[in-house]
Amino acid sequence: MKRIMVVDDEENIRFLYKEELEEDGFVVELAGNGKEALEKLPFFKPDLITLDIKMPLMDGIETLKRIRETERNLPVILCSAYSEYKQDLTTWASDAYVVKCADLTELKSTIRKCLGLR
Amino acid sequence: MSGHDDAYDLLRSIILLSTSPLSIEAKLDGMLQSISGAFGSDQCVFLRSDEIGQNGFLSRVASERKPLWVEEGSSFQREGVLLEEKDLLFPSFACVPLYDEISFQGILYLGFSKNRKFSPAEVDLLLLIAKEMGEAIRNASLHQKAEETISDLTALHEMGKAVTSTLKLEDLLELIVSTGMKILKARGGVLRVEDRRTGELKVKCSAGGYDQNPLDERIARRVFFTRTPISLNHFGEGKTSLSILCAPFVSKVRDFGTLAFYDKQAEPSKFDERDFQLLLTMATQMSCAIENALVHYETSNMARQHEKMVGQLSTLWELSKTLLTTVNLERIIHMTLTAITIGDGLGFNRAMLFLVNEKGKALEGTMAVGPDNAEEAGRIWTSLSQSSGSLSDLVSQLQFPPQNSSALNTIVKGIQIPLEQEQCILSRTALEGRPFNIQFPRTEEWWLQTRCERGCHLGSQVGCYVGEHLSRDPRAYSFATVPLWGKGKVIGVILVDNLYNQNPITEEDIHSLSTFSNQAGLAIENALLYRNLEDVHQALKEAQMLLVHQEKRVALGEMSAIVAHQIKNPLVSIGGFARRLYRTMPDEAPEKRYTQTIIIEVGRLERILDDLVNSTRDEALVPKELDLRDLLEENLSVILEGSPHVEIQLVKHFSEEIPKVIGDYQQLKHAFFNLISNAYQAMKEKGTLSLRVYPFSKNGSSFVRVEVENTGEGIDPENLHHVFNPFYTTKDAHLGLGLPIVHKIITSHRGQIEVDNHPGEGVAFIVTLPAKQSTPPPLAGGDSGEGERPKNGP
Repeated sequence: MKRIMVVDDEENIRFLYKEELEEDGFVVELAGNGKEALEKLPFFKPDLITLDIKMPLMDGIETLKRIRETERNLPVILCSAYSEYKQDLTTWASDAYVVKCADLTELKSTIRKCLGLR
Repeated sequence: MSGHDDAYDLLRSIILLSTSPLSIEAKLDGMLQSISGAFGSDQCVFLRSDEIGQNGFLSRVASERKPLWVEEGSSFQREGVLLEEKDLLFPSFACVPLYDEISFQGILYLGFSKNRKFSPAEVDLLLLIAKEMGEAIRNASLHQKAEETISDLTALHEMGKAVTSTLKLEDLLELIVSTGMKILKARGGVLRVEDRRTGELKVKCSAGGYDQNPLDERIARRVFFTRTPISLNHFGEGKTSLSILCAPFVSKVRDFGTLAFYDKQAEPSKFDERDFQLLLTMATQMSCAIENALVHYETSNMARQHEKMVGQLSTLWELSKTLLTTVNLERIIHMTLTAITIGDGLGFNRAMLFLVNEKGKALEGTMAVGPDNAEEAGRIWTSLSQSSGSLSDLVSQLQFPPQNSSALNTIVKGIQIPLEQEQCILSRTALEGRPFNIQFPRTEEWWLQTRCERGCHLGSQVGCYVGEHLSRDPRAYSFATVPLWGKGKVIGVILVDNLYNQNPITEEDIHSLSTFSNQAGLAIENALLYRNLEDVHQALKEAQMLLVHQEKRVALGEMSAIVAHQIKNPLVSIGGFARRLYRTMPDEAPEKRYTQTIIIEVGRLERILDDLVNSTRDEALVPKELDLRDLLEENLSVILEGSPHVEIQLVKHFSEEIPKVIGDYQQLKHAFFNLISNAYQAMKEKGTLSLRVYPFSKNGSSFVRVEVENTGEGIDPENLHHVFNPFYTTKDAHLGLGLPIVHKIITSHRGQIEVDNHPGEGVAFIVTLPAKQSTPPPLAGGDSGEGERPKNGP
């Protein structure tokens, strides 16, 4: 069972993602900001992280940078309401960029693609 | 002589005779008789100075001025006696010379047939008598001279009176001849004046019996060219006798003719020296008079010319003043042409203006003013003659734009003449920058219409017929053209004519027209510049508005981005949980329908937010090499996964060889996503979606074409031209930013998007994007403008 960490400051979104992804058979851990995610990272050891960009305490870009310092090959999907960061150089270190949407089809297909599933 | 009494009687008789009113001849005759009687002489004569021969004894007496007393004639020296003097050698004689203060008058001679002595008393008496005789002669001569002088002065006075009575040259010359004839008592008189062009002398006026005598003409020419007067008495056997006096008119500045008189109406019928002198005096006096008259004549002419020039200048001033009242180009042209045609202005019947189009290298008919026919011309002239006010008032009160566009104006406006037409007077006027005055003889068929063989539509009833090849089709149409000068260049041509009153166009008219056109040209050029300025100003205003608009858009974009993001997170939660609910509900539960509505509406809200953010943001392109097929496949998978459209058939035709394009992957993906999802929506869950990708080449360039076709309702033709307009929407669609965004993205990629609309059957959006250049054209002979368009599958 693949392990996914969802990092988002919106509680409802974290809850939604958890419900949806667990339904699809993933083990899900949540974090409300980048700092919390980095703390949980060594213990949870996720196979993939979905990372919001705009968050308090530590934003997604900074978090991605920190993650890349230790975990070069860990798939990270940036998942933001902002579509304009798509072309931003700072997001290039991620494996994918998904604009947040109520329809989670794109997010789920990206996750599977990044995990090499189906 | 016997005693004192006799001497007294003689002296008394002499003095009486001297003071008597008798003529000098009668006086002398009486005196000689008295002397002869008193002295008992055998011969007593008075020898006039002109009767005394030279080198005789008498001439000696005259030169020595001493009386000669010969008492014994036999002892008188005979040598030095002239033959005619021999009769005077009496046995005794006395010669007493007579003088006054100035001249020798003659000799009183007394001859005696016997020798006699002259007593001292007799000598004294004779000397006294001689003195008295001399006085008498002198008085007579003075009297005669005084009379002659008075007569001359009277004559000259009369002539002077006559010539100062008029300054009219013709009258004056006639007066000179008639008065001269009267004064000189001549039979005829002729006044000749030099023709300044030919230099020939011509009879200007003559009076009395003058017949063209070749001799007289020769004399006049000689007098004129030598400036020397001639007095000629032509008498001889077998010849007509002719007496001529001829004098030149010489004034301070020039010689202008001769004055001659013929044959004195007296006996003898020839003029004497006095007449000659009188004529000379007359000629001198008359020269002054004639010169004055000539100066007066020339001054009057100059004054008339000046008056005319002042008139023209004031007309031009009035017209120029009028031109300053506006900067509206059409109005200035209308005023200019009206000023040219108005009677108080330049007074031409019609005027047409052609402006130079520098880009098109052509003259373009701009406006014409003038009546269409003779009746209209008459009406206009009548109404103008009744109107009052200055010219500038008249012109500036013109109705503008004119109420009725004349046929002439319509024709002229349609004329375009290439500037290189060398035979066209209009283009020559513009090219050579000089006026033309074309005068054609009037013929019977003067209304005959002809056209320029070069194809210009100007005809007789409009204007120019090129006059160079008239012989083939003569036509009485006279017109003139003048260039319209701007600052140092010809900006147009004005054509004028007098079609209705057929007044000839004079050089003076052309001159006035040219002067006025120079003014008008500047005004027109200023108006043109002003119009350009206005255009530029308008463009600037638009640019400024665009800038303001864009600034607003940027601000709006920033604001909408913030708002959009604030809304988006809750929407994701709402939509996401709604989907979860939907999936868990049994199909028959009525709540399932409610949940579906929430899902659909959230999806709609999300798209509105995306469009809003995208439309207000100018994303920088991140170009890279890409294959449109990958991009389309990716879009298809997302769309199909999201909501599988079961009853919609997807037909893909992707050519095998598709050149790569350079573009922004995300933006292009977004554009095609919009096009494809629009196509699905248009078909309302049923129909065929055709997706075609194929290479295409045109004018040697390669392109990739993508066609997205659906079998929906198509677009209402009324709305077709709105589809790329932001914020346009039909009630079925969402905010309507989808297609404008597609359009924006495609055009920013130097591509093109077209709509092939079939209302009721469907619509195809055709996107053409330039292929990457290094890729060789996939098709040979690719200039056909058509690519390898895959055919629709079954």
